[in-house]
Amino acid sequence: MSLSREDVLHLADLARLQLSEDEIASAQNDLGNILNFIDQLKEVDTDGVEPMTMPARAEGWREDVAVPVDESVRELILSNFPKRKGDLLATPGVFEKPKGGK
Amino acid sequence: MSKRLNELTISEARSLLDAGQASSVDLTNACLEEIRGKNGLLNALLETFEESALEEAKRSDERRAAGARLGVLDGIPMAMKDNIQIQGKHVSAGSKILEGYVGVADATVTKKLKANGAVLIGRANMDEFAMGSSNERSAYGPVKHPHDLERVSGGSSGGSTVAVAAHMSLASLGSDTGGSIRQPAAFCGIVGLKPTYGRVSRSGLLAMASSLDQIGPLTKNVEDAATVLEAIQGADPMDQTTSSAKPFIPSWKEKLTGVRIGLPREAWGEGMDQGVRDRVTEAVKVLESLGATVTEVDLPYVDEALAVYYVLMPCEVSANLSRFDGMRYGQRKEGLSLLETYLQSRAEGLGPEVRRRILLGTYALSRGYYEAYYVKAKKVQTLIRRAYEAALTNVDVLLTPTAPTTAFKLGEKTKDPLAMYLEDIFTVGVNVAGLPAISVPCGNSDGLPVGMHLTGRAFDEATLLAVARAYEMARE
Repeated sequence: MSLSREDVLHLADLARLQLSEDEIASAQNDLGNILNFIDQLKEVDTDGVEPMTMPARAEGWREDVAVPVDESVRELILSNFPKRKGDLLATPGVFEKPKGGK
Repeated sequence: MSKRLNELTISEARSLLDAGQASSVDLTNACLEEIRGKNGLLNALLETFEESALEEAKRSDERRAAGARLGVLDGIPMAMKDNIQIQGKHVSAGSKILEGYVGVADATVTKKLKANGAVLIGRANMDEFAMGSSNERSAYGPVKHPHDLERVSGGSSGGSTVAVAAHMSLASLGSDTGGSIRQPAAFCGIVGLKPTYGRVSRSGLLAMASSLDQIGPLTKNVEDAATVLEAIQGADPMDQTTSSAKPFIPSWKEKLTGVRIGLPREAWGEGMDQGVRDRVTEAVKVLESLGATVTEVDLPYVDEALAVYYVLMPCEVSANLSRFDGMRYGQRKEGLSLLETYLQSRAEGLGPEVRRRILLGTYALSRGYYEAYYVKAKKVQTLIRRAYEAALTNVDVLLTPTAPTTAFKLGEKTKDPLAMYLEDIFTVGVNVAGLPAISVPCGNSDGLPVGMHLTGRAFDEATLLAVARAYEMARE
């Protein structure tokens, strides 16, 4: 089995990935091969079997409390932002029209 | 003593430190010198913490002189896989998208190593976001095999492994989602331990597939693996999957009388190198000579475990890596619109294998396929867990090779993703079932190391490591 070009483009769109022509072609083929391999799971009888939740039993939730950090750590977090305005993370506008767009 | 300081095991180094015959600064300098000599060729470390390591070593020596040793790792140089955060140090997970990113807090394992006095000597190369079995998927170039520069180190913890195998650090931490500690350990002839899921906190680990990821040690012998596991284990409020199970305490055995070892019939079929089969078969004889009872057992779903892995892992990858979009972390490539900024940041920042797995996971989670792939795989995962539990009621540990081949040539498998995935056939089942497993060197085939893979019951690392250690002692 191999995925159609449209399938791959749809997935790329969902995953916010931009693919080159070469990548589209190899994704059609590679994903197809992997999906063929995975398809053996269809042969396994899972009637009445519950999906596994977590290998280890989770120990419950911790309190949702704000933990103060040193100024140096705060600055470290802020300095990791790709772009900042003062103490704020700067991002492209969500509702803005593309710059130089039609 | 004929060994150089950087060639010592943790326990040997500790004896010298305790006896005042060497200092942590001596040990650290010996490792730094080895790194300067070899890392250019091997590419095991992405960054050496020369200054801070020597500073930590000096403080360790001062503590020791004052009779205030912190823990068993005090003064021991160790390398960290580049997906484990150290406050104030770069952490890239082997990816371009995190180039320049600085860890904001210590991972829980980092805190524990520091509290124990370990000296952090560098961050180790890895396949991008731990996705790969050869370390050829690092954005910063492949790690080379220490015995043959034309071969791969294995992966994804290839840098952590080679740092130890080539004596650039005394021990390392790696992470293991489908075999990423054990397979490079086997390829390079050292010990690699994946603890039980829930044994070690992943807080501060850059997640790949959260339901499968586990941090563990890469060391020169089994005793050292136990030492490191003791230091990093334990429940952690910052990782709610950590368990309050009884802590691991080593309990060594000289003889293996009464220990039952199972050879899964399904794992010993086709597709295994003859040299690998021969070495592991010899190892089985050694274990028998120590008094262990060896029987064949049924372990169904060996192939299906790999298929389950290649559904669940990409699904979690597609979710975990959606945050790397150029907004909050690392590199942003500004486009004309928000969408273009996402697309360009991810296009420039994420490599081909990562993109392939994101697409695969997106497919398996998309409308119309979720039940057929994700839910089905979670059901088969239940059957696999039960199959392991059933097999491990009649025997104490399961034994297979760690990988079907020895270290292959660079470039040999990069063209065919499925062939690369099959490298993990003996190791992924353990992650799918959440169990502990260890790879122990068992000789060479054509000059390349072979690993024996032992799997134990959940939270019974003590039995697992006792068998591994008894084997190792008998071979020495």
